[in-house]
Amino acid sequence: MSSSAGVGGDAPDLVCQLDCAQGMVDALSSVRWKRHQDAVVEISEHGVVLIVEESGCLQAKVYLKRELFLAYEYTAEGRPRFGLSLGLFVDCLNTFSTPGHAPVIEIRYPGPDMQLLLKTVDSPDACIYAEIRTRIPDTISWDCNFQSTGNVHATFTEAVDDLEWPGSSIQIVLQPDPPSVILRGEGHGDLQVEFPYYANTDLLIAFQCDQHVSYRYKYKFLRATTSHIPNSVLKDNRGSKVTIGRGGMLKIQHLISVKRAGGQHSHGDISGGIQQLSRIAYIEFFVKPEEDESPVNDT
Amino acid sequence: MKFKAFLTQDGVHLLDKRFLPALDKLGRICHVYLTPDHAMFLQNLLSGDGVQSVAQFNKDVLFRDYRISSQNAGRIAFAVDVALLHRALRSALTIQAQARDDTAAIQIKLVKKLPAGSRDPAPFLTFETKGRVSAVVQDVPISKPLPRDDVQQLQSALEAAQDLPQTLVQVQDLAQLQSLVDRLRNVGDLLTVAITRYGDLHLQVSTSLITVGSEFRRLRVLGLRADPPIGDRTLSAPTRTEMAIQKGEGLSVQVSLKHLAKSLQCHLAKPDCAFYGIAPQGACLTVIFQFFIPGTRLTDKSISFYCRLPVLDPGSGP
Repeated sequence: MSSSAGVGGDAPDLVCQLDCAQGMVDALSSVRWKRHQDAVVEISEHGVVLIVEESGCLQAKVYLKRELFLAYEYTAEGRPRFGLSLGLFVDCLNTFSTPGHAPVIEIRYPGPDMQLLLKTVDSPDACIYAEIRTRIPDTISWDCNFQSTGNVHATFTEAVDDLEWPGSSIQIVLQPDPPSVILRGEGHGDLQVEFPYYANTDLLIAFQCDQHVSYRYKYKFLRATTSHIPNSVLKDNRGSKVTIGRGGMLKIQHLISVKRAGGQHSHGDISGGIQQLSRIAYIEFFVKPEEDESPVNDT
Repeated sequence: MKFKAFLTQDGVHLLDKRFLPALDKLGRICHVYLTPDHAMFLQNLLSGDGVQSVAQFNKDVLFRDYRISSQNAGRIAFAVDVALLHRALRSALTIQAQARDDTAAIQIKLVKKLPAGSRDPAPFLTFETKGRVSAVVQDVPISKPLPRDDVQQLQSALEAAQDLPQTLVQVQDLAQLQSLVDRLRNVGDLLTVAITRYGDLHLQVSTSLITVGSEFRRLRVLGLRADPPIGDRTLSAPTRTEMAIQKGEGLSVQVSLKHLAKSLQCHLAKPDCAFYGIAPQGACLTVIFQFFIPGTRLTDKSISFYCRLPVLDPGSGP
């Protein structure tokens, strides 16, 4: 299938191919906390970034590096951006794949009408195709200049699940002495989940903290950062990195495995590490704290 | 009017395991239309709405000792609830198996009986399972047999339905098509179907924000065929289809995706292949199921099964 569209000015900015539609769906679904969400997509020679945000307090980014794709031809100048319905895009990718069969999908941007074009290309006699309308994106209202004050690698998801206290906020405390992470929810009574660093290195894998840090975050936003990670990915148990930046900005990073078709990697398989790195999609969530709290000296 | 006949073992198997399960998915009620030569199961032929289906058998496929008489050239038609019919047949089969009697046979008769608690006799299709020692009788309620005019209407609808599309394309894998249709339902209900003389089948669902489609190419063609234009491989599916239609070498209609999904339930009848075509003047989308004589690849002409999907007027779509 020819990938260049002939006359120079008509060449699409991006033509790429992927064979891991299910993995792509997993990565994108992890930032889909509502049925209908608008996303901004930014493409570059490094790959594709998809950004979603809500009410100026929660932002998520999915980084799909070019190495995830079977082929990646980028000919645009600068970094084109366009708006897209995340739900439509994910549902569309789901339409392309059937259980047990991962087709090769070609994605092109832009189409004649600035659409995003998708098409299966692994069979000459049958194909599924889609055209998704895009729009001119709004400028992203906040671009965090993130400076870390403490971070942890933890199984954050279960803790947030345990803290399901409707309507309340969650306080996250990082303290250097003793090294621990405490998540506290208040509502009808209170619940505290504590990760002492030395107690269980399965739960709290790495910890770095210079000063006592404590901030509150809306529960529903914390929930959005973990509840849509697909179960198949949670089983991989890579852990999530939680960082609190200056001013209390919470940054949560997940690594989602975007498996190549036919590729299986077992847990704890560290050989072939370089190959594995290229099969990871990076997901970042930023959550703004509720109030501007100076560090609280409680124990 | 009189009708009675014994079901053959093949007939029992065809109805119980293949055709009645399919008809049950297509609609609740069907018309049974019996003539001196054929037994037919028809759905929606008189109502004009929804998916129409015709399952026609030579009488010898289903029955032996077939006796029919009526004042309407030996034709009888009535409506029956498919599920009730199927249930009665399954019960008769169970009784036959329990009788452990190789001569036990299932006889069907048209009768008039007085239902419990009623003063007026009503028509029934009776299943009598006769063994050496005992007989079990089951009555399936049916509508009053259709009057002459209605039977004529049914006959005319049947003849109109036999107007074959000029070009038919063969779809090998109905399960694959069904899986695709199930996924397209997430997008919308209005489906555009295009069939070309080159052997392309193109399905597309479209909303204001997204268009999703699927194209199958180089399918086997029955009827009018043509060679595809050179160089059309690099074109997109919608462009190819549009060009074919403009040249008069393709047709396109809009149907309900729900109807197509329903018609695909006909796979329960286990046909050997299926052909899709658009009737002349885009009157409907026709799907014809073919059955081979067991052990061969020759078409069994004694069984005929096809569906017609109504074409939607795009202007009045949902």
